[in-house]
Amino acid sequence: MIELDDRTLAFQRQTRAWAQELKPLALELDRDPDAIHRHLDVAIVSYLTRMTVPPEYNPDPVVIDGHRFYGTGTLERVVLAEEAAVGDAGLLLASPGPVMSGVLVDAMGDEQQKKWFYSRIMEKPTWTFFALTEPDRGSDAGAMSTTLTPDGDHHFVLRGAKRYVGNAARADLGIVFARTRPGPLGVTAVLIETSAAGFTAEPLETIGLRGLRLTAVTLDDVRVPADQVLGRHLRATQRGMWSAVQGLNRLRPGVAAFGLGIARAAYEYVLDNRRTLNTADRHRLDRLALRLTELRQLIWRSAIAVDDNEPAAGYLASAAKARASRLAEEATLEALSCFGPGARLDHPLLDKLARDARGVEFMEGTGNIQKLNLFTGLVQGGLRRD
Amino acid sequence: MTGRTAAADEWIRYRRTARHDGLVAALSLLYETLCDGAPPHGPGGHVVAPAGFVGADTGDVMATMTVEDGAIVASRSRTAPPSVSRTPWAAWALGTTCLRFGLSERLLDAVLAHLGGRTVGDARLLHQQMVKGGVAEAVIEQLEIETMLAGAAPGDLDDGVLSALNAQITRTDRMLLRLLGAVSFLADGPGQVARVSELIADVYFGPAPAGEHGGAA
Repeated sequence: MIELDDRTLAFQRQTRAWAQELKPLALELDRDPDAIHRHLDVAIVSYLTRMTVPPEYNPDPVVIDGHRFYGTGTLERVVLAEEAAVGDAGLLLASPGPVMSGVLVDAMGDEQQKKWFYSRIMEKPTWTFFALTEPDRGSDAGAMSTTLTPDGDHHFVLRGAKRYVGNAARADLGIVFARTRPGPLGVTAVLIETSAAGFTAEPLETIGLRGLRLTAVTLDDVRVPADQVLGRHLRATQRGMWSAVQGLNRLRPGVAAFGLGIARAAYEYVLDNRRTLNTADRHRLDRLALRLTELRQLIWRSAIAVDDNEPAAGYLASAAKARASRLAEEATLEALSCFGPGARLDHPLLDKLARDARGVEFMEGTGNIQKLNLFTGLVQGGLRRD
Repeated sequence: MTGRTAAADEWIRYRRTARHDGLVAALSLLYETLCDGAPPHGPGGHVVAPAGFVGADTGDVMATMTVEDGAIVASRSRTAPPSVSRTPWAAWALGTTCLRFGLSERLLDAVLAHLGGRTVGDARLLHQQMVKGGVAEAVIEQLEIETMLAGAAPGDLDDGVLSALNAQITRTDRMLLRLLGAVSFLADGPGQVARVSELIADVYFGPAPAGEHGGAA
């Protein structure tokens, strides 16, 4: 089994303490996603606003037990994601910060773009977004129809639509994927400001994870300066989807940890609220506890693989994410079953967890997509087996 | 490195031998390296051992099963309670779990080879999406089990955890066996090894509960 080192254990203790602040806010944010604006001073939200900003752009990192934390390591991010999601997954996702887009900027941005992006992030709590998925086409890059076309005078024009984009309606900055020409190398990513003319983001009502504020984005001839096109300094094969895939591989363990946190929250809810447990219930909970441990181990393994740049990292993360989304759903349903008829009404926090759990399935690729990716790793040898 | 996975070469040997050389070879290795005196008995007084191993057939021989690399004997001794064996239980429990996990990996290899050689229409059966999904489900289970066992020394994982891991190995094997179709039902194929592997779990850890996760394949 994997054990955390002292540095990461200190971070885990701190994030666990921070997460205690989130639970009392969970139902408020579920009712009103804009409530996040009232809670920007919550410690974990404050940390998230700068998480993943590299040391050269963040002179004031969080210091815990003498260790500096920038959130640039995947293992520490999964530790935080689990603990924060135990507190409230919705609030974790509603928080301002550069998490998803920052990974892409880090992978594809040149020095000037990084400086610009991170200085904006450090200025004030800033929401960002990441727009890849399209209506009717999902995240199939081959079928992507949003276009980025030259418009003279060192500008491009962005035209198309994106859907299921978290936080875009409250964001100042974001990354949009678009096609510059046909073919697999024709997809590229651009940094955009939401204040640009032609950009609109309409919230979509969702069943759970309402803090995330999923949106439908319309790009109606949005002018983009040429220096906001990411990856121009990279080889053609490393721009666009290749970098997106690398970035998503880095983010995937965090999504899995997010599902683990929801599952653990449901488990802990039963322990905290069910006064007596019969033998059968105790056995069910013991089994659930072990499944949480197993999943946590797999997530940590995938995170360490990402941090060590192991070729198998993305496949391990796919396995972890597929298992996490399933466990989140099963654990929350199992927890509800411990409280009998009417549990969804009598235990609104548990009902919320069960609704939130459904959202993990499609985040960063559905379970079936993850399994197909894992299969590819298996048969092509990317998933090394002893 | 921010996490720790301690080296445990000794335990990896059981797993690797099971995967690459088969059940009898791995069980023989387990007996040769861990048995002290009489072979260890399960809580019910049962023993599963390679045929011909000293002490394997003491008591009532209840079954002899032929597998790809030899024969296995299952017996029960009414006169030799579990305490007679001086084999350390924690080591034995971990060793059998690692061995069974290696057999499960061997079963996955068999599935990949078998389905990779069959076609449906013009495509390999292995590359049908439902089959891919089924294989991936089993691999997820194996990755979880592997991560839990990585670096474990005797006593690190208590009996409850090892029992649950053995139940998970059984469920994973069943997922893989379903992918093999009728081939899994033949007494001279991988299904027979899986049957004996289940028997080992049954003798030393008790029957696996039905249901729970991982049944999608």
